[in-house]
Amino acid sequence: MRSRLEVLRPIAAIALAAVFFFPIYIVVMGMLKPADKIQSSPLGLPLQPTGENLGAVLGRSDGLFWSALLNSVQITVLSVVLLTLLSAMLAHYLVRSHALWTKPAMLVLLAGLMIPPAVILQPVTQVLGAAGLMNSVVGVVASNVAYYLPFGVFVFSGFVGTVPVEIEEAASIDGASRFRLFWQVVFPIMRPAAASVMIFLGVWVWNDFLTPLIILGPEAGTTVTVGVYRSVGEYSTNFGTLYAFSFLASLPVLLFFVALQKQFVAGLTAGSVK
Amino acid sequence: MLRRVREFSGFALPGLFLYGVLVLVPIVWTVVLGFTDRNRFAAETNWVGLQQFQRLLEDDQFWLVLKNTFVVTAIVVVVPNVVGLALALLLNRETRLYRLLRAVFFTPVILSGIVVSVIWQSVLRPDGVLNAVLVDAGVTDAPRWLSDPGIALFSISGILCWQLLGFCVVVYLAGLNAVPQELYEAAIVDGAGWWRRFGSITWPMIASSVTINTVMLLISGFKVYEHILVLTNGGPGRNTTASIAFDVIEKGVRGDRIGFAAAEATIMLGIIVLLSAVVLRLLQRREVNL
Repeated sequence: MRSRLEVLRPIAAIALAAVFFFPIYIVVMGMLKPADKIQSSPLGLPLQPTGENLGAVLGRSDGLFWSALLNSVQITVLSVVLLTLLSAMLAHYLVRSHALWTKPAMLVLLAGLMIPPAVILQPVTQVLGAAGLMNSVVGVVASNVAYYLPFGVFVFSGFVGTVPVEIEEAASIDGASRFRLFWQVVFPIMRPAAASVMIFLGVWVWNDFLTPLIILGPEAGTTVTVGVYRSVGEYSTNFGTLYAFSFLASLPVLLFFVALQKQFVAGLTAGSVK
Repeated sequence: MLRRVREFSGFALPGLFLYGVLVLVPIVWTVVLGFTDRNRFAAETNWVGLQQFQRLLEDDQFWLVLKNTFVVTAIVVVVPNVVGLALALLLNRETRLYRLLRAVFFTPVILSGIVVSVIWQSVLRPDGVLNAVLVDAGVTDAPRWLSDPGIALFSISGILCWQLLGFCVVVYLAGLNAVPQELYEAAIVDGAGWWRRFGSITWPMIASSVTINTVMLLISGFKVYEHILVLTNGGPGRNTTASIAFDVIEKGVRGDRIGFAAAEATIMLGIIVLLSAVVLRLLQRREVNL
């Protein structure tokens, strides 16, 4: 009885995964087919695969894909680097400081984990407008850093506790400034936390839609994710090109995932088994 | 003293300043705007007290988008949690095959909501893949998945479940791995069956995974926006699939009724604070009881 169930396990698992993956299969195959084949045989393999859909996106006369890619890379890299640095330092400060205000400050920060962007977006555009940062990459980065800071602080603050206080005290007796102490002693110990913060925020910021749509606006170009949305209207009859744009927009994140799969899972689960 | 000021301004100030200016101030600003008649195209803004809230509560459309939001959130909290746990139990083996299958289920988690919507549109549009298969199988009037007002909201909920499922699977797998194997061995010696072992060992031991997944699903379901924008744009008809986040953005951020949308956003904020507090309290009590 028991062994019969074990025989069924891989069969059931593969069958469920195949059904689950089916929509992605349709889009990836569709991308490699000429337009008429997408409609006439959506399920079949592309027997004569064509690169014309991918070529059409990459070779657009307005260069939309490439300018969107440049925006996405700039926004993601700047946001993730700044977020990692600022949230690591803030978490360390809040956990280690004995001042009375740090506990309430931590609570106010963590409450920010649950605020939906829709609630604050309108005033955020006003603040950025007043600072002259609307329709700019810097404006999107500033708003990302503020919005995702609670997540970074949340992850790092769980990790600061694992850094032995004795190490920090010993180093500070030796006369190291708090900055040197942090960067040379504490931050290296928190590297696993930094890895999961960077992985998560990298994916979230790359996929973010609403913030770049509103803050970047059409004036300052788009990101690849917003580009896919704009293509939905534009290519409403040409699905192959839409699929190709979606695929190319997701490709960096997919490659990142394949390369760092172990760290992805480790980062995701670091908080869940505590 | 000087040293402490310098440390504060170096370590804490940059982050706290950005968070204050671009999160805390906007929250307060939204609440304040909810008491005004601010409109993008009106020259002046007047204080109108509770008038916007009163109009909201008397507006059938508000209750409709609120109901839609709760339907989506309820489905999204329950389905990926249950199916995710079942899949985690199925995939809880350490061979290359199962690692590959886990990656398959995780893939939609790292895709953007916009791309996921494009993918599902190819399957669900009237002449899409699913209906082509149904027609081939002899179904004469295949459902209009995204344009039938009785179905569209459930299609959107299902797509969200599909996207979030892999997250739950991975979190549950980590929870299952952390259960000491000796407990199972002892239970088998005592003659406990599969269900008994699940109920008395597995389920209580994965309490923190249940908490994480439930909170994540709750927040994701409640703020649903992109999927609606791409797949139905709130329709068919008026607001049949619009969520509260969708309504706030369409009216206040992309539209001109800033005061009205701010009042709606304030209610949204109140609900999410209340929901999170209740859910966290309930789930953590279960964890503590162990």
